[in-house]
Amino acid sequence: MIGLGQELRLFLRQRLAGPTLALLAVLSAISIGAGMLEIRRQTEAIARIQPLQAAEEAAVAAWVSREGDAGNAAYYTFHATWDRPSALAFAALGQRDVAPYVLRVRALALESQIHEGESYNAELALPGRFDWAFVLTFLAPLILIVLLHDLISSEREAGRLQALQAAGGRTGLWVRRAGLRLGLVFVAVAAPLALGAGMSGAKAAEVLAVLTAAGFYLAFWTLVCVGVGALGRSSVANGAVLAATWVVLTLVLPALAHMVINRANPVRQGVELTLAQREAVHAGWDKPKDATLSAFFKVHPEWRNTPPVTSGFHWKWYYAFQHLGDLSVADQVRAYRRGLESRDAWTARVGLFLPAVGVQTALHRMAGTDLAAQLAYQDRIRAFHERLRRFYYPYIFNETPFRKGDFGKAPRWAESG
Amino acid sequence: MSPVLRIATNELRVLARARVAQLAIALVVALSAVAALTAITQGQESQEIRSRFQAQADREFDGQPARHPHRMVHYGHFVFRPLPALAGFDPGVDAFTGSTLFLEGHRQNSANFGDVRQSSLLVRFGQLTPAFVIQALGPLVLIFLGFGAIARERDSGLLRLHFAQGVRAGQVVLGKAAALSVVAGLILAPALIALAWLTVFAGAVPAAALMLAAGYAAYLLVWVLATTSISALAPSSRTALASLVAAWALSAILAPRLATDIALLAAPQPTRLETDIAIQRDLKKIGDSHNPDDPYFTAFRASVLKTYGVARVEDLPVNYRGLIAMEGERLTSALFETYAERQFADQKRQSGLALALGGVSPTLAVRSLSMAASGTDLEGHRRFLRQAEAYRYAIVQRLNRLQAERLTYSDDSNRNSDPEAGRRVRIDPGAWRQTPDFVYRPASTAESLAASTPGLLLLGAWLALAGGLAWAASRRLERAGS
Repeated sequence: MIGLGQELRLFLRQRLAGPTLALLAVLSAISIGAGMLEIRRQTEAIARIQPLQAAEEAAVAAWVSREGDAGNAAYYTFHATWDRPSALAFAALGQRDVAPYVLRVRALALESQIHEGESYNAELALPGRFDWAFVLTFLAPLILIVLLHDLISSEREAGRLQALQAAGGRTGLWVRRAGLRLGLVFVAVAAPLALGAGMSGAKAAEVLAVLTAAGFYLAFWTLVCVGVGALGRSSVANGAVLAATWVVLTLVLPALAHMVINRANPVRQGVELTLAQREAVHAGWDKPKDATLSAFFKVHPEWRNTPPVTSGFHWKWYYAFQHLGDLSVADQVRAYRRGLESRDAWTARVGLFLPAVGVQTALHRMAGTDLAAQLAYQDRIRAFHERLRRFYYPYIFNETPFRKGDFGKAPRWAESG
Repeated sequence: MSPVLRIATNELRVLARARVAQLAIALVVALSAVAALTAITQGQESQEIRSRFQAQADREFDGQPARHPHRMVHYGHFVFRPLPALAGFDPGVDAFTGSTLFLEGHRQNSANFGDVRQSSLLVRFGQLTPAFVIQALGPLVLIFLGFGAIARERDSGLLRLHFAQGVRAGQVVLGKAAALSVVAGLILAPALIALAWLTVFAGAVPAAALMLAAGYAAYLLVWVLATTSISALAPSSRTALASLVAAWALSAILAPRLATDIALLAAPQPTRLETDIAIQRDLKKIGDSHNPDDPYFTAFRASVLKTYGVARVEDLPVNYRGLIAMEGERLTSALFETYAERQFADQKRQSGLALALGGVSPTLAVRSLSMAASGTDLEGHRRFLRQAEAYRYAIVQRLNRLQAERLTYSDDSNRNSDPEAGRRVRIDPGAWRQTPDFVYRPASTAESLAASTPGLLLLGAWLALAGGLAWAASRRLERAGS
């Protein structure tokens, strides 16, 4: 019986073994470095907007407070929101390159603000980022295939198979050898991640969860490799079969699933609701003011007994029809949201059958960079916007002057919740 | 029968009998066909949806009631980016850019509702399109069917037999490459049918379709030659398979993502929020319309009064408020353009950098050619953004001019205090109907061909390189055989 140390020496003596593992470790380290750079860039952008935003607010305050018109304050003051990356975001950047992680909102109708996009180079977004999730999902299985496709067949081709099985026992030997390769590949992939997670201050439990997902994923591919190898074909045939399996499981089937899911769950409501919301908001200008205000007072009865609107224009009426515009498309907003969530839920179901999709789903969920995280950020923006409205309403409806000091009382974006 | 032809037909006969080869070819042809069918129907559907939305937006704009023109400036307009016909072949960045843009006065909004933000993370696995099938899967099938073409015969001693019969090594390489080219033709066939269909029935530009056909043929030929050469050069068929799959993984999987990261690192871009604030600041530096004593707008008023030869804005024959709106819009639009062009230039630099890495990846080269010829590259989106901005400026200024010419200054100033003036400032809705609709002008044939040239040149270089490799492989084989 040969020990694990002996097996390791045997393995490393193979011509391709060391360089292959080193390549994987280097690629993993590069992906961690690239991910951390990107996250640092995003964190810096979030830090950069704070003073910019403060200066903007001061500039608005300077001229608005002269007249003290609260309507102007609410109209011209933008309020910054941001979605700070989680400590694990560097490992799976997900949608953070195409969805905004900083967004400014005003107390005007929200539906024309919340769907705004970020400016990015779509040609570069198309292939996706070189992050750790990519290395684990796509490259690590290829490395496993390189190391494992000839595990049994190479011994047979060298004429050692009989002797080995007699000496080492039938399964124990292969379990040990395959386990050793799996372990080495896992270390090559995982070590840079653990290092990066330590540097970015991720919680040990989270890192452990990510590593467990990675371990299961790599174990799946190890089983596939050993299973194909056990069928007794030549090394070349094994290599070809495994590479084909890899293509089908990580490229073809996910792409097919994506096509089917998106066609089965159309989400046209996004465009429809913005078109409808604009109609509703702008029709507000032409409707009788009393009708608009009484509709608004049904939602906000607390302002019912404030002084009536008599002039041609009053901010009360303006902000009332802004909010009514949002309310008029609430059903479509929910339907749109349901469509997106349904796409996400189907993806998770596909992930139960396609390990590559499953591991990506798990990683992006844990890193907080998936569609659900994007929707959660939007929910927080909605809640913040509600606080903003409720902050400005007393000034507007009671016609209280809005002074310089009042700018500082406005709700601030809270990091979490 | 020439030796080349005989070797090619023999190889094809072997491939036709091999179950694996049958399966691989059937699979990729089926995938290619499914991809072409869905891409074409999906392209038609999205195009229909977009034109329906566009018609709805045009109708709603025309149907607005009598209003103050400035209300219409804020009511704004929606425009939708039409999908080019060849998007049915290669949708390119279409899913990664918003397809609709809201145009209004003194604001520049983002294009929204791109599929990428409306999809789960599956979108990052790649989209099943004819372009994807040929770019990513085509080479792999060629590798699987071709890695043993020569290596296998050398392992079995058959190659020596050829040489003994007086066949030259170059003829073996050429014959095997010819056989593999037939396979490449099969892989390409569904895509070519799709291209022909799009040209005949969907109005795709024939020259662009030809460019695509030529580009993809060249791309697959690169892989045919590389596969045959490596099969001849590698010490064993196993090494041939390993090095070819590694080359494929580098070219099709690794390089595009690495190129993205390198390009983004070399030329980072500010966030939209920062750009918005920068524009606001620049604007304030020129003039602050909220400040009654602002020097810029004081000077503007003086020059207007001088032009019309009057002493007070009340005496102007036009509505001074409309003139102010036009001047303000002129200033903001100039800034929008400066910043947008700066951003376009940055993105162009990024994309150029990524394409330069096409030096290590023929897949990057063919992708660039494919998107450019299909009109679905970033330049196509920029073209839409530029035309939409020009349209925005035109309709906003048209509305501002209506405010200046059809409204009196006193009505406009008293519209909120005097109900009669408030009625008079609402102008006849016929003016909205007379506002021209947005008509998108797609890239001309010359433009899309010019845009695909860098990719074509890179592919040409790759073809030359692969040809050189085949020649070197023949020489090596010749020496080893004699």
